[in-house]
Amino acid sequence: MKRLSSLLVTAFFVFFIAFPIIVSADETGEPLPNLTLKVPDNDAYRDYLGLKGQPGEDFTFEDIDADVLLIQLFSMYCPFCQEEAPNVNALHQAMLDFSQQDFKVKIIGLGANNSEFEIDHFRNTYDVKFPLFPDQDMSMYNTLGGKGTPGFIGSRKGDDNHYSIVLRQSGGFYQVEEFFNELLRKSGYN
Amino acid sequence: MKRLVLLIIPWLLLLFCGTQATAAAKPFTEYIYNPGTLPAIASELKVSVGQTAPDFTLSSVAGTSVTLSQFRGKHNVVLSFVPAAWTPVCSDQWPGYNIARSFFDNHDAILLGITVDNIPTLYAWTRQMGELWFDVLSDFYPHGHVADSYGVLRTDGTAERALIFINKEGILTGIYVSDINVRPPLETVVAELAKMSGK
Repeated sequence: MKRLSSLLVTAFFVFFIAFPIIVSADETGEPLPNLTLKVPDNDAYRDYLGLKGQPGEDFTFEDIDADVLLIQLFSMYCPFCQEEAPNVNALHQAMLDFSQQDFKVKIIGLGANNSEFEIDHFRNTYDVKFPLFPDQDMSMYNTLGGKGTPGFIGSRKGDDNHYSIVLRQSGGFYQVEEFFNELLRKSGYN
Repeated sequence: MKRLVLLIIPWLLLLFCGTQATAAAKPFTEYIYNPGTLPAIASELKVSVGQTAPDFTLSSVAGTSVTLSQFRGKHNVVLSFVPAAWTPVCSDQWPGYNIARSFFDNHDAILLGITVDNIPTLYAWTRQMGELWFDVLSDFYPHGHVADSYGVLRTDGTAERALIFINKEGILTGIYVSDINVRPPLETVVAELAKMSGK
């Protein structure tokens, strides 16, 4: 009995003291601010996002043809974003592999306090295939409630075409499959 | 045996959770001191483009001694003064340069990072940036004497956020003192590198 008690105490410590440290995502349910971006010049990005506008025209998050949209907040200057880049690329590939015509999961990156030149350099350095957009004045970062880079905001598009935030994470996710499954689960995908 | 297994499992779980916790906590910049918004510039330049760059010798975090004139006739040099270790903008400026080496290499330029912090502080601070490809020098003692010789020592004893471009002849080709609260854009660095090398 005494041994069982000490075992339970240890298990309690493991699950209720240590475990919460690794859980940094939380559901919010709040609407995703419908921010405006410029339609990219790159054909592949326009196709990926399902945009009908011409390069340089405005589009909003809600114009993106996705059921689940993940926004990565990053910076070319952030060493942890640099370290995380291969994982995010792997996540993007996992999204491509998973997505079907009737359920699409997509990702875009917003370069906090980065110029177009700087996000281009980040893209070229890490061979990033998904669209990255500059957020030089950090207005989008601030509107989205960014809390450091890298950061991730997952959202699910409802029947009314509006996105609702289902996941927020500050810091890297390290485990691609685990994070992707969490995003799907929180988006209500069964 | 069963008892042993029962005792080991929770500790294996603890080990797993502990590893994850370290990884998850890593990106949080909780150790960075935020001084708030500071006066943009608090010094007066003592050098100008076209003159010979003041020579200096400083200790590096790598344990070497670096003298500016050792590069004369061999490489262009960029001095990146940043105000202080463990402060917000400075803590990401050099990690950015860490993935921009190709721009410096293309213009045959050596990058030297300089602050007025001492070596132990710089060692701890730069270690969490990853492995930097350039030397980081300490202008700690006599305090800020190199920064002062260029006129980029602020009135509070920190350095300005300044980029100094010096060609192979040791001549200053560009001086960029930015608002201390703002990181200079990478394109500015690249444009100045091109001007310095003539490429």
